[in-house]
Amino acid sequence: MVIDFPFIWVAFKEIAKAIPLTLMLAIVPIVFGFFIGLAVALIREYKVKGLYSVANGYVSFFRGTPAIMHIMLIYYGVPLVLDGIVNSLNLSFQTNSIPIVLYVLLALSLTAGAYLSEIIRSGISSVAKGQMEAAYSIGMNTFQAMGRILFPQALVKSIPNFTNISIGFLHLTSIAFLVSQKELTGTANIVASSKLKFLEAFIAAGLIYWGLSIIFEGISYVIERKAKQYSKGGVA
Amino acid sequence: MGKVFDPSLIIEFIPTLLKYLGVTIEILVASILFGTIIGIVAAIPRLFHIPVLKQLVTLYISFIRGTPIIIQLFLVYYGLPAALTLINIDISRMDALFFVIITYSLSNGAIFAEIFRGAITSVEFGQTEAAYTIGMTPYQNFTRIIFPQAIRVAFPNIANTVIGSLKDTSLAFTIGIMDMMGRGETLISATAHALEVYIALSIIYYIIVLILEKGFKVFEKYTNRYQGTDASVA
Repeated sequence: MVIDFPFIWVAFKEIAKAIPLTLMLAIVPIVFGFFIGLAVALIREYKVKGLYSVANGYVSFFRGTPAIMHIMLIYYGVPLVLDGIVNSLNLSFQTNSIPIVLYVLLALSLTAGAYLSEIIRSGISSVAKGQMEAAYSIGMNTFQAMGRILFPQALVKSIPNFTNISIGFLHLTSIAFLVSQKELTGTANIVASSKLKFLEAFIAAGLIYWGLSIIFEGISYVIERKAKQYSKGGVA
Repeated sequence: MGKVFDPSLIIEFIPTLLKYLGVTIEILVASILFGTIIGIVAAIPRLFHIPVLKQLVTLYISFIRGTPIIIQLFLVYYGLPAALTLINIDISRMDALFFVIITYSLSNGAIFAEIFRGAITSVEFGQTEAAYTIGMTPYQNFTRIIFPQAIRVAFPNIANTVIGSLKDTSLAFTIGIMDMMGRGETLISATAHALEVYIALSIIYYIIVLILEKGFKVFEKYTNRYQGTDASVA
């Protein structure tokens, strides 16, 4: 077997068309996950009664099981629950009319929420306690102290972790092909099967993932440098 | 979906799936073991600034960290037999398990290389100088001074990698491995109770991760035994 180099380029062009879907599958969950993570981190930080143990269980379970489980559980579980609701209310709604991509987005958002809550929490705890006390002592309320003092510092400190999570989720989207999504891996599989040239197609897909990861890292590097401009000097 | 959801099946499936836990553990242990060896070898060129090798290792680490594990799995599965036919070795009939172990070892090796390098450079150079001034050999310096301090920094990351690797093994079924996940897929084809199977699998993975986390926590305490209570890092 000889590698068909021209076909790598053909496959590359074909697979590259799936980049928008892949980016969507990676970025939407991170954005939703950020808000879930923020809420969960605050619940755990302030030990909100009742919700505290729910939040702990959520983070522990989603970090303790493979992401493919989350996709499969949502993909098979949500229609079941929805069907039950639809039947009991006698609505004329077909759950199988929901596009699969929504299940994937929901599952990955929940996964992202669990991971991001830990990152946000470690970011918050990296800001010295005295900062919040100082904010209170000059008369800020909790909302102001968090919005103006705590979060800007916590988020800057979390940038490297956010980058890792973003690249992790870019790679995680590859398992969406198991529920027949036509993202990079799914498209690579289709292109490969059509010509029975699996190696070439996956080399092309690998190069695209690699390139995207490097771009993500570059963007994060620029953002981090911008965000850290105020803290020149010292040791950082 | 097809059939009605039956919670009692979850309990029924767990023992069936657990019989295949051995394969999952086999992949995990083998890939961690070989990954550690690859990691040590790959960390050396960057620690000692060996030209050429250093660039190669950087490329290897960048590639592994820049592509999803499933792509790496497919590349090894399709690429390795193709590459080896060039030197007249035919491994196309080799058990798919070997391809999985090779892929996961390479993947873990790159991550471990970065962890080891980071941990060793986190120990300041003055320590090495001090060790030499009291007449230690480089070997003594490493085993008595650097390693005990570096392992403390590296261990939490190693633990995370092991847990991540366990979760990654759930993708090995895509090239036809009969591990827990592979058995789950066949159970689904046989019974059409997909949700119950995935719930059972989630429970098993979750419990294993919880056990691993508990075990790692104990060892982490051990590596930190010389740290003061208020000086604990990470």
